[in-house]
Amino acid sequence: MSDRPRSVDHLLPLKPKVLHTLLALADGPRHGYGIMQEVAVRSDGQVRLWPAAMYGTLRELEELDWIAETDQRPSDDDERRRYFALTALGKRMLSSEVRRLEAIVSHARGSRALRKPERA
Amino acid sequence: MKPPSPPVDPARGTRAIRAYNRMLWWLRGRDPRESREIEDDAERLLDSARARGRSAWAATWLALLWDLMIVGTAQDLARALRSLVRAPGFTLTVALLLGLGVAATTTLFALVNAVVLKPLPYAEPERLVMLWESNVPQKRLLEGPSPGNVDDWATNNDAFEALTSWWTVAATLRGRDGSAPVTGVQVTKGFFEVFRRAPLLGRTFADDEYIGRPSIASGLTGGQEPVLVLSHRLWQSLGADPALVGETIYVEGRNWRVLGVMPADFAVPDTGAGFWTPWDIREAYRGPRFPDGPPRDFRFLRAVARVKRNLSHQAAAERMETLAARIAADHPRTNAGWSVRLVPLGEELVRSSRTELLLVLGAVFGLLLLVAANVASLAIARRTARARETAIRFALGAGGTRIVREHLAETALCAGLTALVAIALTALSLGSAIAFAPSDIPRLHEVELNVSVVSFAIALALLATIIGVGLPGLRGSSTVIASALKDGAPVSGQHASRVRHALVVAEIGVTVVLLVGAGLLARSFARLQRVDPGFDVRNLLVLRIAPDVTRYPGAELRTHYYARVLDSLRELPGVASVAAVTVLPMSTIGSDFYRPYWVEGEGPGPNAPPVADVRMATPGYFGTTGIPIVSGREFSAQDGLGSPLVVIVNESLARAAWNGADPVGRTLILDYQGTPSSRQVVGVVRDARYKGPRSAPAPEIFIPHAQNPYLVMNVVVRTRTDPGALARTARAQALTVDPDQPVHSVTTMERLLDDTLQQDRFAMLFVALFAGAGLVTAATGVYALLAFTVAQRRREIAVRMAIGASSSSVARLVVMESLTLAVVGCVVGGVGVAGVSQLAQSILFGITPHDPLTLVTTAILLLAVVLAASWLPARRAARINPVSAMRI
Repeated sequence: MSDRPRSVDHLLPLKPKVLHTLLALADGPRHGYGIMQEVAVRSDGQVRLWPAAMYGTLRELEELDWIAETDQRPSDDDERRRYFALTALGKRMLSSEVRRLEAIVSHARGSRALRKPERA
Repeated sequence: MKPPSPPVDPARGTRAIRAYNRMLWWLRGRDPRESREIEDDAERLLDSARARGRSAWAATWLALLWDLMIVGTAQDLARALRSLVRAPGFTLTVALLLGLGVAATTTLFALVNAVVLKPLPYAEPERLVMLWESNVPQKRLLEGPSPGNVDDWATNNDAFEALTSWWTVAATLRGRDGSAPVTGVQVTKGFFEVFRRAPLLGRTFADDEYIGRPSIASGLTGGQEPVLVLSHRLWQSLGADPALVGETIYVEGRNWRVLGVMPADFAVPDTGAGFWTPWDIREAYRGPRFPDGPPRDFRFLRAVARVKRNLSHQAAAERMETLAARIAADHPRTNAGWSVRLVPLGEELVRSSRTELLLVLGAVFGLLLLVAANVASLAIARRTARARETAIRFALGAGGTRIVREHLAETALCAGLTALVAIALTALSLGSAIAFAPSDIPRLHEVELNVSVVSFAIALALLATIIGVGLPGLRGSSTVIASALKDGAPVSGQHASRVRHALVVAEIGVTVVLLVGAGLLARSFARLQRVDPGFDVRNLLVLRIAPDVTRYPGAELRTHYYARVLDSLRELPGVASVAAVTVLPMSTIGSDFYRPYWVEGEGPGPNAPPVADVRMATPGYFGTTGIPIVSGREFSAQDGLGSPLVVIVNESLARAAWNGADPVGRTLILDYQGTPSSRQVVGVVRDARYKGPRSAPAPEIFIPHAQNPYLVMNVVVRTRTDPGALARTARAQALTVDPDQPVHSVTTMERLLDDTLQQDRFAMLFVALFAGAGLVTAATGVYALLAFTVAQRRREIAVRMAIGASSSSVARLVVMESLTLAVVGCVVGGVGVAGVSQLAQSILFGITPHDPLTLVTTAILLLAVVLAASWLPARRAARINPVSAMRI
């Protein structure tokens, strides 16, 4: 077993709903409804997750060990709900994906593709 | 800004949530904790949406339901996929069996769709009618109209927007790399207006371009430059160069200006048409030979018209009948008793092929039913095998709906897989079907894998899968629990067993119909092949020579040319004798002349005189082909232009004209080339079946070629060895006389004879193929049923054996069951045979649909196959060890 964490690049790119779910958990643990709301707010309503599909995603991510159920509950605790947090692996996945996207964006900025027309 | 929405009924939200919950329970219900969370979240989303107004609430609710459905369906599909992958044998068998059946049916559907169902590629095709002359008293109901009458119709009718007629002529096209036969269609004014098709390139003929154009064969141009419009196919074979429009091509010894190219789907009269040229009937029938203008008693043209808008076919027919009656009154000698008949073009085109196509489609659909029945049988067996698993799952709390849903998902997956296999196979088979089908099926070139064909395949795959997989699995998933959980008890009830028996009986029944059909067609085909064509077809090589009319304008030149060609061929080693004739038996090349004749001294009489096929032949023609001379002599070199006019007639004509008395030495008047001329009969030859084994011999008159040196001839070579081996040398040898003259269509007489049986062979092979497939399917069906029954009755059999039944009596039990199935199936099939015999009658030759030999052979074959299929299960039953079978 190597000490160095294995590269996770081969798992990229992430599906949009996975990326959004991970992003919503980046600031700390949330419950399902919280994730839905956070995604909606962050994307300005452009991206919506719906419960049946989202809990399926959460289950998958849990099985992958990218997120985990957590006991860290905020003060306004809803005790019937499960809270999810990023695992170390989940964090690495998220940052690798963001780095990948950054590279693409900076490449696009450098090329003519994204230059705004003079009279914009 | 939106006006504030009215407050929403709070009960509504509750009701919506209740509906949502019910669906959630239906579609998921896997982890109670997760379900509760989903439920809570949905409720919260709905609550917050309600604050934003009624439409936001509705949109949210719909989005929630959609989300649930997608997830639920995906789960079912995933589970179904897993269960299908776990049983690859079953899955593949189902997909392949059903896919084959569906593909076969779809292929036939594509053919029928293109040929029978799809509207014709012309504007308002329902207004197009084909015109025929019809003489009810003489029972000549559909005769191609005569030039004189068509001309009259075109000028004087008040029923049609446009009326056109045409005649196809075999012509020779000469290019840089040799010559090729092409079919030219000479069309009268209004042709492109009737069909209302614009050319792909260039233009069609202007009205004044029709005037003064004689026929292609006349070699004249009416003083104008010859023009033509190319078919798409001929244009393609000439290199598909758009610049060809405006250029000339060399046909029949002349240069023709290409005015345009028609689209690929324009095929009038059929796909064989190479080009169309304008034709002026009055110009073609002018001069001293035709003092009355275009003849009215040679009925051979084809005519199509476009019915006036707002005029029914009935009304148009009545108007045309009035006109025909007027013409008949004006020209009683030629037209008495003749009227006109209108047939919608769509019907006309498929009249000839409809029976065959529907017959074949019926056969294929029968096969698909067999296959679906067998798959159903398999599915029932599988359900039986899984009954315990299902029952246990059910007992452990899996919802009944969940099991049903998974079964539906499984059916859907099977249907999808079947459709994929079917579409792939259809794409493959369409190409070969077109290659193997008789070339004279109209509109065959329009067959393609299009949206309607693919939709048909998908729909049929769904139907077949529902029959084969869906229905058998749906029944009694809950009813079997109790019995399934009882150890060793039979899991399938009376009902399923009865259904399986009915299926096998149905399979045997359909197979009987297919087998009888194949047997009848095979016997009919064998009879056709045994028909004596009237001459010796072996060791005959034929080739067609179409010299330029410009190079050989006169009689002397033509006679001389052919004499040299025949002489040069005689020099070849292996050649026994050589001769030439205008129309060869079995050949589709060359045009017959139907001309009136009468016996000297009797006169033409008040009615139209009888007609005979008139052919020109060189000396030695009958000896070369092997048509026996019954009386008199063969043509000789002395029968030339200067000597007395002579003819040879066949037995049919001798019978018709002289009541069987020997006509040698008598004189016959032949109305040929404008004026009736007396000719002495010098010989009588035996009848030959000129148009293939199915055709009856017709009256024939032969004229020495030297006395009427026709330009385009078929040369026939009697060889001492294999004629096919001589083909290349013979062609080269004929070209040595004049390398510029086209020699083509080199083939053997046996091949020509074979080609006339093309349709019969096609029908026979097709039905035989399906009968074979049906037989295999029925055999597997019988096997599956018996094997299943034996397995199911294992304990019962064991008990019987324990109390003294012998192995052979147990085996007999199984065999008796299979025999019962076979007998009942034969009876069912017999009813089916009686049903389709009417349809089969029309394509059978020399045999009735109730041919006892075929019926008995079919029954024996079927019994043998069923017995063979029951052998394995019977042996298995006989080998049951009572001790181990009764142990639980």
